[in-house]
Amino acid sequence: MFAAGLKCPGCGSSNIVDDDLYCQAQLVCVDCGSVVSEGTLADDPVGGTDVSYSRTTAVTKKPCLNLIKGLERVKEMCRILRLNSEIEELALTYFRQAYQQESFINVTLQRKEVLAGCCVYVSCRQRDWPITLGTISSLLDADQTLLGGVYQEMIKILNIQAPFVNIADVIEAHVQEYKISAQDVTKELAEDSKVLTKRAVALVELAGDSWIVTGRRPLPIMMAATYLAWQSLNPNKHRLRLSLDKFCHLAKVQKRNPAVTRITEMKEVLCKLGRELPWVREAVTRDDVVRLVGDILEHRHTLLTRALRTHETAMLADCPQASALNSPTEEVAPSQHSESRDQTADASSVVQLCPTDRMENQEGDDSHQTEDPEPNWGKRVLFAPPCVIHAKRRREEPPAQNFTGDEEISDSEIDSYIRTPQEARDFALMQKAVSSSDNGNP
Amino acid sequence: MDDLALERYFDDSIANDPSYMVEEELDLQSSLKQSHASSTNSQNSFNLLGETETSGRLGNDLDLSFLPDDLSNQSSSITVKRQVPVNLGSESNASPFCPMTPMTPMTPMTPVTEKSGIIPQLQNIVSTVNLGCPLDLKFIALQARNAEYNPKRFAAVIMRIREPRTTALIFSSGKMVCTGAKSGCSEEQSRLAARKYARVVQKLGFPARFLDFKIQNMVASCDVCFPIRLEGLVLTHQQFSSYEPELFPGLIYRMVKPRIVLLIFVSGKVVLTGAKERAEIYEAFENIYPILKGFRKQ
Repeated sequence: MFAAGLKCPGCGSSNIVDDDLYCQAQLVCVDCGSVVSEGTLADDPVGGTDVSYSRTTAVTKKPCLNLIKGLERVKEMCRILRLNSEIEELALTYFRQAYQQESFINVTLQRKEVLAGCCVYVSCRQRDWPITLGTISSLLDADQTLLGGVYQEMIKILNIQAPFVNIADVIEAHVQEYKISAQDVTKELAEDSKVLTKRAVALVELAGDSWIVTGRRPLPIMMAATYLAWQSLNPNKHRLRLSLDKFCHLAKVQKRNPAVTRITEMKEVLCKLGRELPWVREAVTRDDVVRLVGDILEHRHTLLTRALRTHETAMLADCPQASALNSPTEEVAPSQHSESRDQTADASSVVQLCPTDRMENQEGDDSHQTEDPEPNWGKRVLFAPPCVIHAKRRREEPPAQNFTGDEEISDSEIDSYIRTPQEARDFALMQKAVSSSDNGNP
Repeated sequence: MDDLALERYFDDSIANDPSYMVEEELDLQSSLKQSHASSTNSQNSFNLLGETETSGRLGNDLDLSFLPDDLSNQSSSITVKRQVPVNLGSESNASPFCPMTPMTPMTPMTPVTEKSGIIPQLQNIVSTVNLGCPLDLKFIALQARNAEYNPKRFAAVIMRIREPRTTALIFSSGKMVCTGAKSGCSEEQSRLAARKYARVVQKLGFPARFLDFKIQNMVASCDVCFPIRLEGLVLTHQQFSSYEPELFPGLIYRMVKPRIVLLIFVSGKVVLTGAKERAEIYEAFENIYPILKGFRKQ
């Protein structure tokens, strides 16, 4: 083991060998015995070896600890949710892929955990397993906004799509959470979960048809549907007296505040249909509609048709000349109902003409900013999204002016934006005074 | 009427991009405005669009009164005497159902009856301009009444003017961003506002110029007046739409051509953003309107 090219500083010989003394390697001159250089330790470049950790084989032999932890978390979540192995595999694949990306490799541990949740969520949706983001957020105990952000970024980076989740599919899992079976509560309040699910699904479908569901968060809607279903299955005085608050307390679920509004909206829809029941003589109000819910849901298609017809005749009574109209115009005439029952198709076109007529009467005048702004089409149809029925009043805007972009800019206008010298001095003094007082008071 | 000129016009416009139409439309509009004053046919309204109730709304933006009353009756359209070299929507090559109106994007065979008649209203325009000289932000914040400057929070002066009501971010490099939302929002208004800011900076003693004025983004909104089944829309247009009711109540539709993002809500209100030109917004809306109508009676 000759070390070529080295000269001993002591005797000048080039007879230098590599000698491993104990644990340290040394270069020793054979002739005079002096040590030329010793210790690869001392020769190590400052700041670690030349080869960085990420390029060593240690990376492949021992992957990143957080990656392992994240994969374990994914598996854990799948077990809790009792997902099948296919979904679990898919989630693990997505997590591995997403983890390597820049936006997820150097982030907080919380974000990585949230990423694990999002992978599980996306895999469930892709394999038609109904699940909501709310479930994942409660599993992770993470803020839903953060979850949403990570989710959007993840699907953008991985370039995947998740099919839409139908609320009617999720509600079955949702109802399972409510602890109101016979073992948990008293007989008057107990309800079988299958029966409850069936009715809740019917309520949710009705809500979907009448524009309560679109654009809203699913969880409060499901809660409202479950509550109304539970009340209506046995509308005794115990159940009717129980408010949503107490019901959630009883069933050991967390109450969602928007559910109260959803209950009101659903009751209104049920009232509209309940009025069409032939055997109901007295007026249907929100308070007693719960007793009729069973009947309403059972015959809801017929009742829907009847309600639409009643509404249409009421509208025709307002504008009798509509029947004479045969205008070739279409479009922008406000629409009517969401449900497309074929038998109501002609009815809807007649309803459509009536509002058109009203609009045409108004178009005569040029001004479109009248006192009473454009009639709210939501008030004229039977079912409309609640945000249209209770539309926010917009501030009246002044009429538009025509600009060319090259107008003259008056000096006086520009001067009005500039401080006078005295003002500037005062302002500077005031700033100094304020900042010194801030420093004075710690 | 010069038939050759008409044919040339049609050949040109069909052969070229829709973007060609945009320039053409701007020229036409300005020349129309001149000739309108001398015209006698003032209120030849347009059954073309068929939505007469929107005439008031349109009045401020477009002057379509030159369009003939009755498209199917082609002979009467020649009575419209103008100085413009082209008489649109009338003769020969165009079928009665495909009038070459300036606002029509060049998609052939678009029947008259499918036009929406709704014009999206601009809500906000973001533009940038380079003042061409470095600026002392502290000095500006001291000398200008309408400026605020908090270097710890953001490295620019926030300046506001009253007319047109806009806000500008002025950076020390001399670059400026001007945003504004007002009724009658328009590109010209944004340009005027940017010029006023430049003038203020000039008055404060800097050698400010007005270089590279560019509109970066335009936001518009409108109402189709019928409810929309967002669940259905996301099913049929999955590759363009993103609808997550748990995160946002509207559907986010990313249109490819033109490259515009639309926010579609259940109430029928639509917000369009990401446009650099007004025509892109109109085109995007005309593209989405038939799709939305498809979800109307369902």
